Amino acid sequence: MAEFNTSVTDKGEISTIYLKGFLDAHTAPMLENTFSGLIDKNRYSIVVNFKDLAYISSAGLGVFMAFIEKVRDNQGDIKLSAMTDKVYNIFDLLGFPLLYDIFKSEEEAINKFKENKKLES
Amino acid sequence: MDFKDLTETVTDIAVKVCNSQASWIIWLNNNEPQTLAVKSIGFVDAKLISVYILSKADKSTDAKTLLLNLDKFEDKSRLAEKFYSLAVAPIKTHNEVKGFLVAAKKNDLIFDDEDKNAVDTFSDYASIAIENSRLLEESIEKERLEKELDVAREIQRKILPSKNPDVENLSISSLFIPAFEVGGDYYDFFELSKNKFAFIIADVSGKGISAAFIMAEIKGIFESLAKTINSPKEILIKANEILERTLDRKNFISAAYGVIDKENETLTLARAGHCPVILVRDNVVNNIRPSGLGLGLSFTDHFSETLEEVKFDLRDNDLIVLYTDGITEAKNKNLDDFGSIEFEKILLANCDKHVDEISNKVISEVSQFSQSIPQHDDITLVILKWKHKIILDGENKWQNSTPQLQTKVK
Repeated sequence: MAEFNTSVTDKGEISTIYLKGFLDAHTAPMLENTFSGLIDKNRYSIVVNFKDLAYISSAGLGVFMAFIEKVRDNQGDIKLSAMTDKVYNIFDLLGFPLLYDIFKSEEEAINKFKENKKLES
Repeated sequence: MDFKDLTETVTDIAVKVCNSQASWIIWLNNNEPQTLAVKSIGFVDAKLISVYILSKADKSTDAKTLLLNLDKFEDKSRLAEKFYSLAVAPIKTHNEVKGFLVAAKKNDLIFDDEDKNAVDTFSDYASIAIENSRLLEESIEKERLEKELDVAREIQRKILPSKNPDVENLSISSLFIPAFEVGGDYYDFFELSKNKFAFIIADVSGKGISAAFIMAEIKGIFESLAKTINSPKEILIKANEILERTLDRKNFISAAYGVIDKENETLTLARAGHCPVILVRDNVVNNIRPSGLGLGLSFTDHFSETLEEVKFDLRDNDLIVLYTDGITEAKNKNLDDFGSIEFEKILLANCDKHVDEISNKVISEVSQFSQSIPQHDDITLVILKWKHKIILDGENKWQNSTPQLQTKVK
């Protein structure tokens, strides 16, 4: 099937993972590696940008479940952003909006992190 | 014979065919050369000489057998034994040099033309044998994977109902088409009592044998819970609790569970992250989508607090459609989805027909859409049609009911 890749950009304490292509059982390990890499560096404020993600399967959704506990245990969060309607619908059916903050844009997700930081200090 | 045995045999024979005193193989192994199947020479010597050979040898596809001596070999003094002349034959597979077969002689002994020809010819045979052995190992691995998928398919086949139950006032059609890499679709029917009939449809995340095992577990859980718990919401909550003990964090299951009360003509339904249940009534498609998280997504009170149960009266000719995303996410060659709009259109256009006909119509449209594209996920389609009971008092009791319907297709 079609390609998948991820890239990461750090903006201060917040890291954004950009997803591109098809995230399924075969490509999910690539995203697992990306998350592991951030966690190894103690980067727990993570925004995921779905703008260029064409498709996500259940195995792809599982990746977010695999890491969320660890991230939140370390006072961080995984915030999801910029999904196409099609991808959002898959998350929505399973009830992900009840578990994750999902934003229209990456900026909104980043701002949410910053707001929380302000409230804490 | 595996690859290692084969290389040992090759160097054994190489020593004999060209009257050499030692032989080994340099396996290029994607630019990390290995020294293998060392015969009548110390491993360290073979390794030292190999480095020299690799600096001289032609690795292109038209490489020929090369005769070398160690006159200019800088590390000559480090050799334990006085090897001097070498015959180096490329091992080629698929027009690629995979390695070299080396034969070596000591002191002033040299390789004559006859020796060289012998090495030449023998290395050709060896190349073919090595390539075959590699292909065999690949096909064994492939066969192992296929066997595993066979097992998964067999588990799935045994788990799903072998035939549809005979239920008064209800026509039932069920259809399941497995994907090559077994998905995790599951559906089942439970005849709870004279008046109660339950159904479940579920989709386990992931694929292959692990999904098949979870599916088997799901069947066990629902089969036993259905006997003691009536409420779909309570069953899903209990199932989620049980799954906490065995489910990996990254696995989850979408499910919808419904109970039809035949006496009172009602359907009670709860949904744990599954595709909506479709109700076609009076030529309108209704997506019934009560709130609910997928099983395994949360093991806190959040799961039960967000899980809704809906109940509505059944009317004559109500069509209840359960499906998995294998239908709506079937792809064509441009990787477009079949889509829920198209699916609903077909249901609407055929809702007067027999349930089996409706099902066939859906599947033939899906396969036409995705022809030439391999089916990437299991497809499950269960269609129920309710036949209104003949009531003696002649009053239709459903007339005042207001079913909870979430969305409508215009």
